[in-house]
Amino acid sequence: MELLTALSIGLLTAVGIFQMLRRNLIRSAIGLIILANAVNLFLLSTGAYAGTDPAYVNETITGQRSDALPQALILTAIVISMGGTAFVLSMLYIISSRYKTSDMDKVEGLKY
Amino acid sequence: MNANLLILPVLIPLSGAAVALLLRRARRVQADWTLGTMLTSLVVSVLLLWDVWQNGRALVLQSGGWPAPFGISLVGDLLALVMVVMSQLVISMGILYALGCKDSVAQYPFFYPLFLTLGVGLTGAFLTGDIFNLFVFAELLVISGTVLTAVSDDKYGTEAAYKYFYISLLAATFLLLAVGSLYVSYGTLNMADLAARIRVDASQPLLPYAVGFLMAAFMIKGAAFPFHFWQPDFHTAAPTPVHAVLSSVVVKLGIYGFLRMTTLLFIEQTPAIQAILIVAGIAGIFYGGLGATGTYDAKRMLAYSTMGQLGFILVGIGWGTPLSIAAAIVFAFNHSLIKAAMLMLAGTVASRASVKSAAYSVVTGLGRKLPFVGVLFFIGSLGLAGIPPTNGFISKMLLFRSGIEAESYLPLALMGVGSAITLVYTMRAFRKIWWEEPVPGIKFKPAGDVVLAPTLLLLLVLALGIWAEPLVQLALDTSTWLADYGLYVTAVVGN
Repeated sequence: MELLTALSIGLLTAVGIFQMLRRNLIRSAIGLIILANAVNLFLLSTGAYAGTDPAYVNETITGQRSDALPQALILTAIVISMGGTAFVLSMLYIISSRYKTSDMDKVEGLKY
Repeated sequence: MNANLLILPVLIPLSGAAVALLLRRARRVQADWTLGTMLTSLVVSVLLLWDVWQNGRALVLQSGGWPAPFGISLVGDLLALVMVVMSQLVISMGILYALGCKDSVAQYPFFYPLFLTLGVGLTGAFLTGDIFNLFVFAELLVISGTVLTAVSDDKYGTEAAYKYFYISLLAATFLLLAVGSLYVSYGTLNMADLAARIRVDASQPLLPYAVGFLMAAFMIKGAAFPFHFWQPDFHTAAPTPVHAVLSSVVVKLGIYGFLRMTTLLFIEQTPAIQAILIVAGIAGIFYGGLGATGTYDAKRMLAYSTMGQLGFILVGIGWGTPLSIAAAIVFAFNHSLIKAAMLMLAGTVASRASVKSAAYSVVTGLGRKLPFVGVLFFIGSLGLAGIPPTNGFISKMLLFRSGIEAESYLPLALMGVGSAITLVYTMRAFRKIWWEEPVPGIKFKPAGDVVLAPTLLLLLVLALGIWAEPLVQLALDTSTWLADYGLYVTAVVGN
């Protein structure tokens, strides 16, 4: 399970960074989303995720429990990254409809 | 003073923003309400700062009554409250400028509420004692700032906002990686608790990575040298009142982060961080200074100049002696006032031009009809270059003195050259706008933005230049407080 999680985080990060470096604006935005998800998975893995018993329910249960805090953290991070993603895509829509392209090199209003 | 009052600088603008949303049909009422809210919040923060300074003891609010390492603590120590007062002062002036501003963006119904949430994000990020909460407040700040720029009158506003938001989301992922690395190593997110635990066991394998991620995140927030490239574009495209806030106080979040990193969190890695900061600072001074000299637009010149001036502050933090940290705090405070005032003046000139732009091609010679603005701009230029009787002189003098004390002569010499470049580019702008003949056929609008806000800021600049003792003393007390990390730890988590 640890190996699988580590591998999937690594794979997501690699794909995310690769897509971020593409010239296409939409691909780079998707790369950012993938990277954000890789980070969320990393945060999840900081708590013991192999817990089999519920936390904070019954004091008599003494089995392995997951740490609940990282789960609360990624919940917040997911909400923020979702808002950010929506905002990125809406700005992307305005930009690509203004320049009639999604090629980064042709969006050059600020390149003096 | 009751520690519960510490929530007020966050709570007042936040609830003010909610009320301002309801007032969106009555624009004038909404604008006045926003200014009143921010000024109330400023008064409260000044009172809190005064209380903490006089009693010499930090205010700590454990929100929800949860004891320190478990709940979220709000920590009002001297550094946090100085930063809060500085940012709320500049944001109040920004709102005052927006009231008399001819930009159509100021008519946007969500303009003022977003301005307030910008203040909430900044204040909260300074006050919080929890590293994940810092991330949340920083995101609030980033989103408010981006929306305000995306709706700018400048036609490239959306493009610039996209650039900044993309980079900021990347910074947020770095911050989250740092949070995760620290949490898995030490099992806590409270900065005081974290500091105490890192002292006990600094051998955790993920600690250096956490330091690196945190450095990257704060360098992006603070537009430090290798991570600066978004800054001039984004700041130039922002509406003038927003630009004045972004370029002066929002970038100080990075400065605050570095101060906390070097004095509280990572004592073992501090020499490495300081070395990086000195190099990045010197590079920023030259890159920003030369960029400002070579640019074609007064607002863009000031945006580049921010990068250069932040370089001075970074070097001050990099030296790391108590005096140089005090100098960095004074420099940060004074630079915020000067830079906000200068940007507002450039915006005033741009508002008179035929197209709303501060490019030299449209504003050359315009200043001849605005002599008062010219006088103010000249005072601001003196402040930026560090010439008495402005407060810029006080900050430069303290910084250079601390450099001599730290016996770090090479950075000092380079900073001297950098200071001279400051004078070159501000005087170039002054000459272009107020000295040269107007280009034939140039249009001049009879009405423009009101200069009340920059006048007030520049009066403060002069006042703090002539009577600098209280601010310097405050900064010295702050750096004395910062010198012993145990004070922060005991204030938050007890023994």
